[in-house]
Amino acid sequence: MNRKKHRREKPDAVVQRLMNIVGEREVFYLKEDLISYECDGYTMSKGMPKAVVFVKSTEHVSAVVRCLNEEKIPYIARGAGTGLSGGATPLGGEVIISLVRMKRMLHLDLENRKAVVEPGFINLKLTQSISDKGYYYAPDPSSQYACTIGGNVAENSGGAHCLKYGVTTNHILGLEVVLPNGEVIEIGEEGIPDQPGYDLLGLLTGSEGTLGIVTKITVKVLKNPEGKKTVLAYYDDINDASQAVSEIIAAGIIPAALEMMDSIAIEGVESAAYPVGHPRDIAAFLLIEVDGIAAGIDDQIDEILTVCKHNNVREVKVAKDEAERGLWWANRKMGFGAMGAISPDYLVQDGVIPRTRLPEVLGKIAEISKKYELRIANIFHAGDGNLHPLILFDASIPGQSERAAKAGSECLKVCADVGGSITGEHGVGIEKSAEMRFIFSDAEMTAQTNIRAVFNPEDLLNPGKLFPQPGQCVEIKQAGQGDRSTVPVNAMGRGD
Amino acid sequence: MSAEENRLVTMLNAGKNDTPCQTKTLGNFLWDDLPDATKWADCVHCGMCLEACPTYQETGQEQHSPRGRVYLIKSVAEGKIDVNEAFSKPVFDCLDCRACETACPADVQVGGLIEEARGQIRQAMPLTGFAGVLNKTLLRGIFPNLKRMKTLGGLMRFYQKSGIQRIARKTGLLNIMPTHLKDMESILPEVGKPVLGRYPEVVPAEGETKQRVGILTGCIMDVMFSDVNEATIRVLTHNGFEVGLPKQQGCCGALHVHAGDRETGKKLAKQNIEAFKDYDKILVNAAGCGCALKEYDELFRNDPEMLPLAEEFSAKIEDVSKFLYDNDFDRPKTEVKTKITYHDACHLAHGQGVRFEPRQLLKEIPGVEMVDLPDADRCCGSAGIYNLTHPEMAGALLDRKMDDIPKDVEMISMGNPGCMLQIAMGVQKHGRSEKVVHTVQLLDWAYEKDKEKLGKPVES
Repeated sequence: MNRKKHRREKPDAVVQRLMNIVGEREVFYLKEDLISYECDGYTMSKGMPKAVVFVKSTEHVSAVVRCLNEEKIPYIARGAGTGLSGGATPLGGEVIISLVRMKRMLHLDLENRKAVVEPGFINLKLTQSISDKGYYYAPDPSSQYACTIGGNVAENSGGAHCLKYGVTTNHILGLEVVLPNGEVIEIGEEGIPDQPGYDLLGLLTGSEGTLGIVTKITVKVLKNPEGKKTVLAYYDDINDASQAVSEIIAAGIIPAALEMMDSIAIEGVESAAYPVGHPRDIAAFLLIEVDGIAAGIDDQIDEILTVCKHNNVREVKVAKDEAERGLWWANRKMGFGAMGAISPDYLVQDGVIPRTRLPEVLGKIAEISKKYELRIANIFHAGDGNLHPLILFDASIPGQSERAAKAGSECLKVCADVGGSITGEHGVGIEKSAEMRFIFSDAEMTAQTNIRAVFNPEDLLNPGKLFPQPGQCVEIKQAGQGDRSTVPVNAMGRGD
Repeated sequence: MSAEENRLVTMLNAGKNDTPCQTKTLGNFLWDDLPDATKWADCVHCGMCLEACPTYQETGQEQHSPRGRVYLIKSVAEGKIDVNEAFSKPVFDCLDCRACETACPADVQVGGLIEEARGQIRQAMPLTGFAGVLNKTLLRGIFPNLKRMKTLGGLMRFYQKSGIQRIARKTGLLNIMPTHLKDMESILPEVGKPVLGRYPEVVPAEGETKQRVGILTGCIMDVMFSDVNEATIRVLTHNGFEVGLPKQQGCCGALHVHAGDRETGKKLAKQNIEAFKDYDKILVNAAGCGCALKEYDELFRNDPEMLPLAEEFSAKIEDVSKFLYDNDFDRPKTEVKTKITYHDACHLAHGQGVRFEPRQLLKEIPGVEMVDLPDADRCCGSAGIYNLTHPEMAGALLDRKMDDIPKDVEMISMGNPGCMLQIAMGVQKHGRSEKVVHTVQLLDWAYEKDKEKLGKPVES
C-alpha cells in the first residue's frame, strides 16, 4: 500500500490564498508535514491541523488572520509547542500560524532595563544574549532551552524562580497584538506602570492565545544578583521537608527558588541525563536558592541550614561552585523529560495549594496513587505551593491512560478543595478546561467568556480551549482516548 | 479500542520485546531490520531537543526537529502515515549530528532511530537518478574497497601534481560543476600516500612497550589526510604504544548506515570485527568512524549471532585523544607558540561524549593559547556526505560556524576528517587564513619541536 510513489496533493483554495500571502514554501498542508503538529507538549489530545503557515512579520500575521476570518477557518498561534496543557494543539481542521521564525530581538535598552523581542524569541536566549553585560530575564520555565517568549506570554509561564520574581505577567511592559479581526494594536506603555483604562496587558498575558496573536513583546530585564547561593537538603520524611519549607518562608526569607522532589521523582532524574548522585533511599530533597545583595546571603543561608537541621534533615550542603550548582539545576530542570527513563508515559498536573497544607495534600495524592494503582512522582515549586504530580503509566496497557487522566483530575480536585487552584503556570488549554468548574461558578465563567466574545466574537482563534464547552469538552476527551492506548503522554514544557 | 488499534498495540508490544525475526512488520514498516519501538517509547515529546537541532534552528519546522522526526517514525509504525517521499525528506534531512541526544532528558537514541528508519526507506524506495548513481559508485563501489580508494587518491594526486588542477582552475573548467562541489575542489588537501599498506602491520613503540593498540586508518582519512594518520602513529609510538595496522580492515560503514544502506554497513562491520579480533584496544582518530564502530552492536541489534561479537568489539573502541589523555600522555616541553580554537566534531562530543580530553591535550602543550569557540558543538554541516547531498543546509551551517570562529586565531583544531574538509572550505570561502588541523597533529608537532630542540629523540 505504501510502496507507491507519493502523489503530491494540490493545495486547496484557502491554502493557495495563504501561499499568496507568505510564499509557497512557507505553507505546509500534506499529512506527513502536518502530523507532528497534531499536539504540543501535552500529548493526550490530538487533532490534525488543516495547514501550518510560517509568518515573518506582523503584516503577515494580520493578512493571514484577515484571510482566515473571511474563510471562517479557525486558527491557532504556535511557538515551540512545548506547552503542557494543549494550548497549541488543534481540535482538528485549524490553521496553525507558526511564529518561530519571528525570532529577532528588535531593541535592547539596558539603561531602562528592557528589551523588545518578537514572539518566537527563545526564552533562554534572552538571558544568554545579555548575561555578559550583567543582566538577565527572570522567568525561567524549565523548558526555557526551547520555549518561546510569545508562548510564555500566552501561558503566563512561571518557573523555578517565580517564588521571588513573579511569573511572566510581572515582567511584561508592552505588547503588540494582532486582533482576530486583523487589526494591530499596541498595549502597555513602556515605562508607565499603570496606564489609564483597563489593564489589557494583564488580560492578554495568560489568555492562552484566545484573545489575539502577540507579535512584539517588551520585557523587563533585571540586573544579575550580586550574590547567589544554593542549598541541597536530603530528608528521610517528606513531612519534615514540607515543614522546613513553611518555616523558611515563615522566618521571613524569600528564597529565589525553593524546590522539592520526592523519591520517585529522584529515581527518574537519577536514571536520566544529569544524575547528581542523590541518595536513593531518601524521601525527598529540597533545592533552595537565595540571591540578592552579597552581604546578606550568608546570614540567610545560615538561617536556612538551621531550619533544615531543626526539621531532621539527613544531610544538607551548599553548592561549592557554579559547576555543582549548574548540575543540581540541570538535574531538576530536566525532571519532567527524565520520566521517560522510568516510565513509557506520564501525565503532569499543575495544582496550587496553600503552602501550609502541603503534608495533607501529599497524603491525599498518595491515596490517589494507591486507588488507581499508578505511581505518582512529585516535583514541585514548594515555596509557592505549586505542585506537579507526575502520574506514571503505560499507554500500551489498556485502561491505564484513562486511569491516569482520572487520577490527574482527582489531584486537581484535592488542590481546589483545600483552597488552591487547578493550574499554577501550565495553563488550562484542552487538558483542564473541564476542571475549571472546580474553581469557578457559572456566573464567574460567563464573565470570562463574555470578555473572549468581545475580542474573538466568532471563536475562530484557538477555539475549544480554556473554558469548558458544553458537549464539546466531553467529545474532545473521548476523541483523545482512541489514541491513548498507543501514545506516550505528556512531557515537560512551558510552565514547569 | 477498535480491532485495528488492538492489532497495533499487540504489534508495538511485540516490537518492544523484539526477538530477531525478519518476517514481522511494524505498522507501515514492512521491511527487514525493523526499527526499535523502545527507542521512541522513551520520548515524551517535551521539546527540549528543539533548539539543539541545527535543522530545526534553520527551518523552525517541527517535522525537521528531533522530536518531530521521532514522532513521524512512530506514526509510520502506528500505521498513520506511509513510507513515502514526504516522510523520507525529514528523515534524510537530519544531519545525524546527535546534538539532540545531548539535549534529551530521557536519553532517547534519536540517531539510531533515524538510521533504522533510513534503512526502511531505502528498502522501500531504492534511490534512482543522480542520487542513486552517487550512492552506488561512492558508497558501494569506492568506500568499501580500499584498493579503489587508493586509486582514487592516486588520481587525485595526479590531478594535483600534474598541473591539471592548475589548468582546470585557471580556465574556468571548474565552473561547470555545482558551486558546492567547486568549493570543495578548491580546498582538497594535498593528497599524500595512504598509510595502510605503506607502513608495516606492526609499528613498534619507542622505548618500552606499554600496550599494544590497533588503529583504524579509515578510508577518507587515509586518502585525504594520510598525514594525520602518520602523526597519529608517531604520537602513539612516541608515547610507548605498539601500533597495529591490520591490513584486512576496511571502511567503518558509517556513511552507509547514515544513508540507509545497512546491509553494506553490516558487511563492512563484519570485516572490521574480523580484522581487529586480536586487539584489546582499537583507536580511532576520525570521530565519525569511532562513533560508528562503537555502535556496531546497534547495527546488529536484530542479529543474535553477530550481536555478542559486535558488543565485544564496540567495547574496545576509543578515540585517540581520549586514550592519550587517559594514559598520561607525554607532556611536550618545548613551546609551540600559537593561538588556537577547538571545534567539537558532532560524533566526538554528542556521539561519544568526548569534549574535555582533546581540549586538555591542546592546553597542555606549552605556548598554545586556547580561545573558546561559541557553540563549539554545533554541527559544521559536513555530516558525512551531507554537504554533497544537502549543499544548501550544509552551506548555511558552515556560514554560521565561520561567523563563530574567533577572528584572531591561527588554527582551528578538531578530531574528524569530514569537519576538517568542511571547515577548510569555510576558511577559503570566507577569505580567512586559519589553518585547519587535527588535534593529534598539534601534539605531533610539539614532539617534533622537542626533538629538534634536544637534537635527539625524547624518551617518553
